[in-house]
Amino acid sequence: MRIVIDILIFMGVFFAFAGTVGMIRFPDTFNRIHASGMITTMGIIGVIVGGILYCAFYLGDGAMVVKLVIMLVFYLITGPISSHAIMKGSYKHGVKPEKEMVIDQYGEDMVMEEEE
Amino acid sequence: MNKKRTMPGIISTAILCFIFWMIITGQIVAVFTGGASLQSIVIGLIVSILVGWFSSLFLINDSPFYLWMPARLVNLIGYIFITLPVAIFKANVDVAKRALSPHPKINPGIVKIPVDVSSDYGMALVADSITLTPGTVTMDIVEENGQTYYYVHWIDVETTDPAEAGEIIKGTFERKVKGIWG
Repeated sequence: MRIVIDILIFMGVFFAFAGTVGMIRFPDTFNRIHASGMITTMGIIGVIVGGILYCAFYLGDGAMVVKLVIMLVFYLITGPISSHAIMKGSYKHGVKPEKEMVIDQYGEDMVMEEEE
Repeated sequence: MNKKRTMPGIISTAILCFIFWMIITGQIVAVFTGGASLQSIVIGLIVSILVGWFSSLFLINDSPFYLWMPARLVNLIGYIFITLPVAIFKANVDVAKRALSPHPKINPGIVKIPVDVSSDYGMALVADSITLTPGTVTMDIVEENGQTYYYVHWIDVETTDPAEAGEIIKGTFERKVKGIWG
């Protein structure tokens, strides 16, 4: 069981590290949000599930397990909403992508609506 | 917004809030081991009814027992514990490779994909699942001529054809969610 916990926590830390590196290396706001999404999903899942197993099998602390489960649930509900809000807000605010987009149907449709 | 407060909606939201109150304050353990404080439970009850009246518009507004069917419940549990984690893990490995490779190869773009789910909860669940998997973020939901479309920012645009892109981005999610909220 100890090995499983270690693997889970290591995996979480690894994906959080990869997300941080991605946030620095990717060119613009939109792509950096994808990297931060990696931290809020796999990083959090790995570390918190590892923590749940540790609390359940080594500390025997039931209240802590419940709190960690609630934390995980709310993280997974609120994470995507905030990244969606930042993405849409920065697009509407007029943040220019540094790397040219292959296709931008959102922008095309907005222009069409304005012309009508 | 033509939603109305209904009695079953208020009651079921209040029950949900009350269960959360009992878990977070630890009273649910105290009830079984003895030593539960009546004061705390009564306050929880009052607050849950108030919150239920206030927020039933946004949480549970029509047919509160819709999920109370074994087939739908099993589908939902399978979706949350099997389909979603597998998709999240695959997408994470993919984006991690992009971030750590010597030359980050990214190919970003916004595509418009058609979605066949019609209910509010189903649309929200599919959009949330798309955003939860790194590499795709839902930007907006629009309805044109009875067909729902999502605008999705995609880090690696493999194809610009709407149906094909939709199959790659949310094919599995959509099929599973149809078994829950249709």
